[in-house]
This record gives sequence, structure tokens and C-alpha cells, in this order.
Amino acid sequence: MLSVKGLKANVGEKEILKGLDLEVGPGEVHAIMGPNGSGKSTFAHVLSGREGYEVTAGSALFEGQDLLSLTPEARAHLGLFLAFQYPVELPGVNNTYFLKAALNAIRGARGEPELDAVAFMRLMKEKLKVLHLDDSLLKRPVNFGFSGGEKKRNEIFQMALLEPKLAILDETDSGLDIDALRIVADGVNTLRSPERSMIVVTHYQRLLDYIQPDHVHVLAQGRIIRSGGKELALELEEKGYGWIAAEAA
Amino acid sequence: MSATAIQRPAAVPFDAWLAGAAHDLPGADLGWLSAKRGAALDLVHASGVPTAKQEGWRYTGLKPLLEQGFVQEAEEVTALAPEDIEDLLIPGLNAHRVVLANGRLVPSLSWVDGLPAGVRAGGLHALIESDPDLLRERLGRVAGEGAHVFAALNTAGMDDGFVLLLDPGARVERPIEIIHLSLGMDEPRLAQPRHLVDLGQGAAATLIERYVSLGESLYCTNSVLELSLGDQAELTHYRVQQESPRAFHIAGVYLSQGAGSRYHGVNVGLGAAWSRTDLVVRFAAPGAQCDLDGLYLTGDGQVMDFHLDVRHEVPGCASRESFRGILYGKGRAVFDGRVFVARAAQKTDAQLSNRNLVLSRNAEVDTKPQLEILADDVKCSHGTTVGQLDPQSLFYLRSRGIPLNQARRMLCLGFAGEVLDALSLEPLRGYVAAEVGRRLERAALD
Repeated sequence: MLSVKGLKANVGEKEILKGLDLEVGPGEVHAIMGPNGSGKSTFAHVLSGREGYEVTAGSALFEGQDLLSLTPEARAHLGLFLAFQYPVELPGVNNTYFLKAALNAIRGARGEPELDAVAFMRLMKEKLKVLHLDDSLLKRPVNFGFSGGEKKRNEIFQMALLEPKLAILDETDSGLDIDALRIVADGVNTLRSPERSMIVVTHYQRLLDYIQPDHVHVLAQGRIIRSGGKELALELEEKGYGWIAAEAA
Repeated sequence: MSATAIQRPAAVPFDAWLAGAAHDLPGADLGWLSAKRGAALDLVHASGVPTAKQEGWRYTGLKPLLEQGFVQEAEEVTALAPEDIEDLLIPGLNAHRVVLANGRLVPSLSWVDGLPAGVRAGGLHALIESDPDLLRERLGRVAGEGAHVFAALNTAGMDDGFVLLLDPGARVERPIEIIHLSLGMDEPRLAQPRHLVDLGQGAAATLIERYVSLGESLYCTNSVLELSLGDQAELTHYRVQQESPRAFHIAGVYLSQGAGSRYHGVNVGLGAAWSRTDLVVRFAAPGAQCDLDGLYLTGDGQVMDFHLDVRHEVPGCASRESFRGILYGKGRAVFDGRVFVARAAQKTDAQLSNRNLVLSRNAEVDTKPQLEILADDVKCSHGTTVGQLDPQSLFYLRSRGIPLNQARRMLCLGFAGEVLDALSLEPLRGYVAAEVGRRLERAALD
């Protein structure tokens, strides 16, 4: 599904990713953990095509296609989805209108017919039901004036609607209290399927109590220094990142 | 003083503009009307052509306008059929309709029947001939002193327009739509519609004023609208300028508000090569509220200029001015918003804002908010911004699969959204939003 090899990326003059390797198979959930400044968010952004990063070496193939040469929208059309750490507020842009534009853009790029208003509303209702969400967020401008929890729920709802093949969740747990965290995690778990892979980027082990990963990777100083099963997360929680970084050095 | 006297008459090209209509204007035998027209013409001569040295004309040069030999003519356009204007109508809008073509009322396309008691509506030309006494005290009352040379020019050539008079307590539930239609003629035409809206105490109405064209011809509209609101009267006024891309558009809206009256004006500027709009508000008594919203879109070959002059001379009135502009290509805009609060105007609440989205390197906006406050117990604020589309917002949309150009349009429409939402008649809101979207689509957003 996703194959990242020797990925190096700079922000300005500073090298943030220093040779990152990652293989993600269909249906797998990978957690990427690491201390602040280790390059976790940079990795998520580089994969999704955000401007401001310069890839200097390495490759990222998504189902055999070179991801790094594509525009952000083309990556989304292939089935990539980034759940933002800080979802952007778009005052004046209605959430329903936005969701419909996104879904139809993706459908159009795949040669599928656009959904009309009725079919789209039906689909939205169905997805809301699956995630146990109400429709109050849909009538408002995108993320505008939303609480932290509402913003994250809106991200998960978009994911449910756009049905990506690979979802990258960038610090989805940040700024959430335990109830909001549970709602978001439940949503993510509902969307797990053999055809959908996920990369869960997080600083804390806490999220992994709710979203059980198949693999856990530790990212430090721009590369993955340790990989393991979900027990690795528990070990990190207990001993902190210092332990593993010292071991790797 | 003597210097101005020497430079005076020959420098004014406007006499030629008026010459074609001068002998055919209605009510030439009415002494008071001739006196008004004559005084206005004297004012035109005395003021001459404004120059860039005058503050009010600093940013928008008149040269392109003066290069044209516009001519006002008096004849009616009689050959228009309903199907000619079909494409210009707003789908689903339920309104009384008044159509003017090249400045003259077209009775066959105008429907103002079924108006409630206490309402008089009709064409200015016809009223001058049938019932001039109704107009004598009203014409020029609000747009008198301080109006600039083009308002005086309009008065000098007063011919036709729309007149709406509401008795105290009268309410018109359906909106009244005035469509100014311009048709291409052999010679560049000057149309000078003159409108008069007078709401008695507690009266209420909704007005939609539109400027449209058939074809992309060259012409000049120079309109004046006088609005007089009695105590507790309420007027909602939507103004949508969609002139031809070669047109010149000059408009003056002059408003006087009585005690406790409410006015909400929404101005949308989309068309014309060169346009200048003056909105002049005067509070005549305390407790009145005036909301002015505006949206302008300007691209290649367009200059759009808005001047606001809101005068708080009496205490306890509130005004809110909120204008947003989207500039692309080589578009230019000017926003000159002036709010004056006299010493006596205590407890004034005035909020002035102008925000601009500049989408290209070659677009330019001059924004000049001015708050002049002489009173000491007031709540006033002003703010302006000039910015670009937020890269983070663009990335967010693109990461959801929305192509770059569509993402840009969505953000522009979002930016315009606050003003569009002020168009609280849904068919009108939808129509204008679609017009804005269409123009953004055509513009190469770089």
C-alpha cells in the first residue's frame, strides 16, 4: 500500500527527516510515536503534499505510484487522507457544501458520476449514523467556532465520507479530553477495514489504549529508530523516550 | 478667487452631454423645476471637472470618462418585449418590477400593481406631467447640499426615474425591483435616472436596484437616488451593479433618516469598466440605525470606487459600514469611508470596516477609512485589511481532493459570504452568489 524508503526532507535549511523507512500493508494500523520535534508531523505533511517542505532524497510509493510528485488534490484522489492536528477554520464556507465539493471532486477524478443533492444527503445521514454523530456540525461553516472536540469529529466524519485507502491521523488526540478522545477513537475504529490502512501519529500512548495498532514505530531525530508490536507503546509509556533514544545512539 | 473665474466655463464638457435632451425635458413650463435644473447647471459650471488634487477624486481619474462623447437623449425605448429581458431576471424572485431602459421608464415591462393603500409608485417623467406638486418639496431635498458635480449634472438633466411615496404606516410586503437596462446605441449614451423614495412615519419597504445591460456596449449611467425615511420607517435596499464591461457607472445614494428609523443597504459591485458610487447618509433625528454592507469584485480593465459619507450630527444613532472587496487580474478598487461624528452626537455607535482580498500581484486597492469624532461619549471603531488567500486554508481544501482553482473560488466565496448572507432574500442571495462564482470562474485566478 505505502512504501517509504530513505525519505529526507528539509524545512528551510534544516533537515527534519533524515532517511525514513516505512512499509504499510493493506488494512494495517501503524502508530508512529516520538518526542516533540522528532519529525512526526513533518512526515504526515510531506506525505499529504503540504507546501514548505523540500524532499531531498528517498521515495514514497502509494500502490506503486510516486506520491511525492503529485499535487495534494491528486493524492487525495488516489485515496490518501490527512486528519489534521489543527483543522483549519473556513469562515463563510458551509460544511455541507465543502463536503459535497470534496466528495464529488474525488468521485470525478475516479471517473465516477457526481452525487446529486439528494443522494449526497442520504449518504451523509448514513455516515452520521455509523459514527453516532448528529448533524449540527453540517450547517455551520467548516470548523468555524468549533470546539477542539468538534473539529476532530469533523475530521473523522470527512474520513468516513471520503473513504480513503490510507488515512494519516496527525496527533488526533491533542487537545482532547477523555470523553472527546473516546468518541474520536470509536469513530476511527468503526472505519477500520481490511481495505483501509491507517497511520496514527501521536506523542502519547493514551490514544493507543483506544486505537489498537498492529505496529508501533518510534520516530526520533528524523528516522525510525525502533519498530515493534503494540507492547512497544506500553514500554515507552513506562520508560519514556529517553531510554530508547539512548539505546539507539 | 479670480483664478477660478478665469478658468471656468470652457473646461466643462458636460454641456455637450446635456444638449441633446435639454429641450425635451418634462415640466419645462414649471418655474420651480426649471429653477432647480438651472441652479444645478450653474453648480456644474462652478465646480467644473474634478481633478486628482481634490481629495474625493484622488485615486480615480476622470480621464477615461471625459474622453467619451456621451449624450443624454430624451426618447423612450418602445421596442422592448418581455422575452428581451428574460435572461436578466432573477429566477424565483417574487417582486413588483419597474424597468427603465436607457434611463426612461418602460411601462409595458413594469408591474407595480396591487400596491396597498397609501402607496404611490410611478415614473418621474409621468408624475412631473400629471402631479408635479407631489415632487416640488421632495426633489433635491436630500441630495441637495454637498452633492458632487455628477449629482448636480443629474439634477440639471432630470427626466425620468422611479418615484415611491409611502404614507405614514404604509407597508409594502413584496420587494420592489428596479431594473436599469442599458441598450447599445449608435452613439455612446448617457442615462441619468433620478429616483425618489419617501417613506412616511412607520412605513416599510424593500427595494432592489439593479443595473444591467443587453450586450457589451459603451454607455454611461449617472444615477441619483434620494431616500427619505420618516420616524420609525424601515427600508431594506439591495443594490446590484452588473453594468456592461465597457460601461461607466456613476451613482449617488443620498439618505436622510428620521428618529428611530432603520435602513439596511447592501451594495454589490460587479460590472462596469469604471464606476464610482457615493453613499451619503445623514441622521436627522436620534435613535436611527443605518447598516451599509458592500461587496465588490474587480478584475482586468475595471476600476471600482466607493465613497461613504456618514454624518452623525445628532445623538444616539448607530451606523455600521462593512465592505469587502475581491481583486484579481489588473483590477483596481478604491474604498473611501468617512464617518463624521459631530460634537453634539453623543452616544453614537459607529463601526467601519473594509476588508480586501487581493488575488494577484497586479491588482490594487486604495482603502481609506476615516473616522472623525468630535463628541467624547461615543463607541466607534474602524479597521481595514488587505490580504491574500490563506495557504493553510488552500491546503486543507486540496488535501480533501478539491482542485486548486476550485479551492480558491470556494475561499473567495467564503470571504464574500458575510455580505452575501446580508442579502436576506434567498432568490437574490443565490443569484448574486452564482454571479460572483461565475466571474471568479472566468477570471484566471493567479
